[in-house]
Amino acid sequence: MSNNGRRSFLKGIGLSSLALSVGGYSAVATNTKESQKKYAMIFDQNKCVGCTDCEIACKKVNLVPKDQFRMLIQDKTNPKTPRERRMVRVSCQQCEDAPCVNVCPSQACHRDSLTNIVTMNADDCISCKYCVVACPYDVRFINEETHAAENCNFCVDTNLKDGKNPGCVEACKYEALVFGDLNDKKSKINRILNIKDSLRMKPEFGTKPSLRYIPAVRLGV
Amino acid sequence: MNDAISFTVGFSHGVEWGWPIAVYLLLAGISGGAMIISIVTRHFKQEVENSALTKAGSLVGFATIVFGMVFLVGDLEKPLYFWKILINYNFKSVMSIGVIAISFYIPLTAVMFFYAFEKEILKYFGFLSFLVGILRPLRPYVEFITLWFAIAICAYTGFLISVLIRFPLLNTALLPALFVVSGLSAGNAASGIIATKFFKEDLHSFDMKILHRVEWPIMIAEVLLIVMLAVSLLIGNEYQKEVFQAFTSSQFSLLFWGGVVGLSFIVPIVFNLLLGRFTSKSAGIYYMTAISVICGVLSLRMFLLYAGQTFGA
Ligand code: SF4
Ligand code: SF4
Ligand code: SF4
Repeated sequence: MSNNGRRSFLKGIGLSSLALSVGGYSAVATNTKESQKKYAMIFDQNKCVGCTDCEIACKKVNLVPKDQFRMLIQDKTNPKTPRERRMVRVSCQQCEDAPCVNVCPSQACHRDSLTNIVTMNADDCISCKYCVVACPYDVRFINEETHAAENCNFCVDTNLKDGKNPGCVEACKYEALVFGDLNDKKSKINRILNIKDSLRMKPEFGTKPSLRYIPAVRLGV
Repeated sequence: MNDAISFTVGFSHGVEWGWPIAVYLLLAGISGGAMIISIVTRHFKQEVENSALTKAGSLVGFATIVFGMVFLVGDLEKPLYFWKILINYNFKSVMSIGVIAISFYIPLTAVMFFYAFEKEILKYFGFLSFLVGILRPLRPYVEFITLWFAIAICAYTGFLISVLIRFPLLNTALLPALFVVSGLSAGNAASGIIATKFFKEDLHSFDMKILHRVEWPIMIAEVLLIVMLAVSLLIGNEYQKEVFQAFTSSQFSLLFWGGVVGLSFIVPIVFNLLLGRFTSKSAGIYYMTAISVICGVLSLRMFLLYAGQTFGA
């Protein structure tokens, strides 16, 4: 379904996104113990080429307004060494101890009960921006169209609900993004984390992000 | 951490909580401060009749908090959804806790207003006399509870922004204390203006002397807290050190030195202490310094919000 088609479909049936997603989860929850999941994502700087396919996919899947982003790739290449390209993913870090959830006065920003993913109920958001200023990573914004705060929620109410990987992960041709369940010992994400050094962004904030970054190693001399 | 892996862009627009929130923080502070001062002086004087200061304090306390709520709700992009806060409480959220406190505090200030203007109200709304019978015996208790809520309201405005861990200027335990003290200072000035201007209090009455007497310790506490805040940043970690320049060399330094230091400290010191001998008789000078103090307290909140959200990790 096209972008617009989907939007009007959602509007047309007049169901709140909550009702829709709850329906979706229960279908998933019946065959797996979703509540014990601990979803995480890896961004591998060694592999990312900066093609921004992930950004495009994210907007498409999650109907993000044109000039706003749930995730983007920042070019951090040092101008002195232009051949050592350094990209970095900017998005919600999916904190285990999330300040945005703690401060939200209306519980619009909440942790999904089945997947533990930090996500939004746009209908309850009063747009006070408390979560936006409370997020230590500055990765929340007020969606211009819904007037509700928003963050990267690992596509929990879109792709994930349909049993697919998050949009950005699906779109990446270079395997720079890996998504999976940390509680599943055999998952790909665990296999990678077991052998590669990864780090959490600005761990001093103490919010225990679920996003892991594998920094680029200098090759050659 | 290696620089190339940490991102330096964000999705917000810099200062997301702007001047309406600063005005709200000011009004809530004035309300709490005025309430605290009028209750404490009334108790200390064992007052029986309602003095001009009691009237002014209750009027200011009630009006500013109601007016402040207008700014708070008006700053929401979806003001008509405000009721969602009232049904979806999040007890971990300082904002929710504040809203609960305010929903007790506003009715309390309304009752305090009723006490202070009992005679006037009954003159026009005689049918309310049954309320007097119910409420009058409760007055000492209502005052006691209101006092604690007033302190809580001032402190909550500080806690509201001190939980924002991205902003070292705000993320400090000193903030609630600073907000209580500066609230007292603005509440004191506002009550003084209203008492003399509208309730015919003499500028040199006993009550006004009390207001002047407490002005100085409040100001000293305020200066100390601001100095502590600045020093804690200067000797802090790398983020905190960076924030220190907000005081010295940023677009907000003028707001700090002119607004906070100039209006709330220098003006009252110059006109009351140094020139006091020549000016103490003048009503104009009194109003000017009082208004200057209130503007200084507003500047403090503006400075903290704007500089605070500009210099972040
Ligand atoms: S990164 Fe920000 S938006 Fe994401 S969970 Fe943490 S605090 Fe919330
Ligand atoms: S902007 Fe919305 S999601 Fe964020 S804290 Fe306010 S009500 Fe909650
Ligand atoms: S799609 Fe993959 S390679 Fe392309 S920018 Fe995104 S993460 Fe990098």
